[in-house]
Amino acid sequence: MSNAILELKNASIFQGESLVLSDVNVKINKGEFVYLIGKTGTGKSSFMKTLYGDLPLTEGEGHIVDFNLKTLKEKEIPFLRRKLGVVFQDFKLLPDRTINDNLLFVLKATGWKDKAEMNTRVEDVLNKVDMKTKGFKFPHELSGGEQQRVAIARALLNNPELILADEPTGNLDPQTSIEVMEVLQDINKNGNTILMATHDYALLLKYPSKTLKCDENAVYEVVQRKG
Amino acid sequence: MSSSFEKHQKRRLISSYFSVVLSIALVLFLLGLLGMLVLNAKKVSDHFKEQVVVTIYLKDSAKDVETKQLEKSLAMADYVKTTEYVSKEQAAEFMKAENGEDFMDFVGYNPLQNSIDVHLKADFVTSEHLEKISAEALNKNFVEEVTYDNDLVNLMNDNVRKISFWVLVISGIFTLIAVLLINSSIRLAVYSKRFTIKTMQMVGATKRFIRRPFVWQSVRLGIIGAILALIGMAVVLYYLDKTFTELGLLSNPILVAILFGVIFGLGILITWISTHFATQRFLNLKTDELYY
Repeated sequence: MSNAILELKNASIFQGESLVLSDVNVKINKGEFVYLIGKTGTGKSSFMKTLYGDLPLTEGEGHIVDFNLKTLKEKEIPFLRRKLGVVFQDFKLLPDRTINDNLLFVLKATGWKDKAEMNTRVEDVLNKVDMKTKGFKFPHELSGGEQQRVAIARALLNNPELILADEPTGNLDPQTSIEVMEVLQDINKNGNTILMATHDYALLLKYPSKTLKCDENAVYEVVQRKG
Repeated sequence: MSSSFEKHQKRRLISSYFSVVLSIALVLFLLGLLGMLVLNAKKVSDHFKEQVVVTIYLKDSAKDVETKQLEKSLAMADYVKTTEYVSKEQAAEFMKAENGEDFMDFVGYNPLQNSIDVHLKADFVTSEHLEKISAEALNKNFVEEVTYDNDLVNLMNDNVRKISFWVLVISGIFTLIAVLLINSSIRLAVYSKRFTIKTMQMVGATKRFIRRPFVWQSVRLGIIGAILALIGMAVVLYYLDKTFTELGLLSNPILVAILFGVIFGLGILITWISTHFATQRFLNLKTDELYY
């Protein structure tokens, strides 16, 4: 139990009024790398949104990094998100400021005060994703792959216990996808837990790991055949 | 290094802020002019009210000392603006000038009485006050009669009440329009950043933290707009004062200063509140609802 970072029991996930997934039982332990696959429209994104508090969990039980999703209050959502790192398909960097300022914003927003510490931390995470020379640029001046790496760096800022990546390679070409995937793999090797939604089966074959599948309103674990 | 993109971005920002500042400035300017109207409407009505005369007719038997003392005590009273002693000879002269003939020729003597004309301060020109004052004067045994035009006083007070009521209603409507106009420009400005706001929430920023820079930004625009409005008001006031010196627009600088302060405060308050609510609206939406 102490090892589980994410645990859902008999959870139902709704998108608006409609039921997307029912009777979800999922457990993710510290240090795991888990894929969430499924066709579009099977509820991958809704599943992820429920995990980071953008959709409420109304039925069933859910625990994620010390927070109870069922009783999660509006006020607690920011503090839940500080313990998670979220990476989106469309990067979602702030377009009106440079990469450094994007990362500094997150640090300021999450309560960092010391200027020097903040700068060191920004340099650290950019270094991890191999982007430290691009800090002065605006997001639109970077390629998609570079933006996604910055987004991953942003997710790493507060040493999150769990990184949720919602189709992080969905907007990228295969070569860049692999680069981003390498970054995620490195991070995972350093001990971070990652849940990654994807429909890129090539990646699954190249980097096999525990895989969950969304299909017909249910989530179940699939066993990969080793190729 | 300032790239052309940055310059372009800045120019775009400036032009979008410009319309917000302009609408704030215009609306506050209009409100300020209305405020000046309200302030001076009181002055104009006071001016008319203070024309009302209460005439205290004295008995011929009244001693000089008594008359002097009454006049003095009246002049000291806080509800009196001016007093004027009119002897019956002066009154006769006045009537002669007005009628063009000397009535003493056929009456044979001067039937008029010595009197004191009293002008009251505007706030005390009401039926009740006038009655009290006249009763007080009539108590003195050397006072023959106290007269004033009660109907005129009532009519005037009635009209002043009606006019100030409508001026207040119009001011209320104007304030409402001001708030709505400023509110809608600010909402548009915030709306254009709704996805940025959402992203900020996604990385764990609290609502308050996200709101603060938006509010501060708008309040700054509000301050600039208010300053522009105040400059406009100052210019208008200066020229009106020069053209209509008799109105004494600047005779009460404290009141004018308060009006300027209120307009400035409104600029801040309105932008503050509407940014707060506009931002809050998008903060409370879920991501999917942003697209509707």
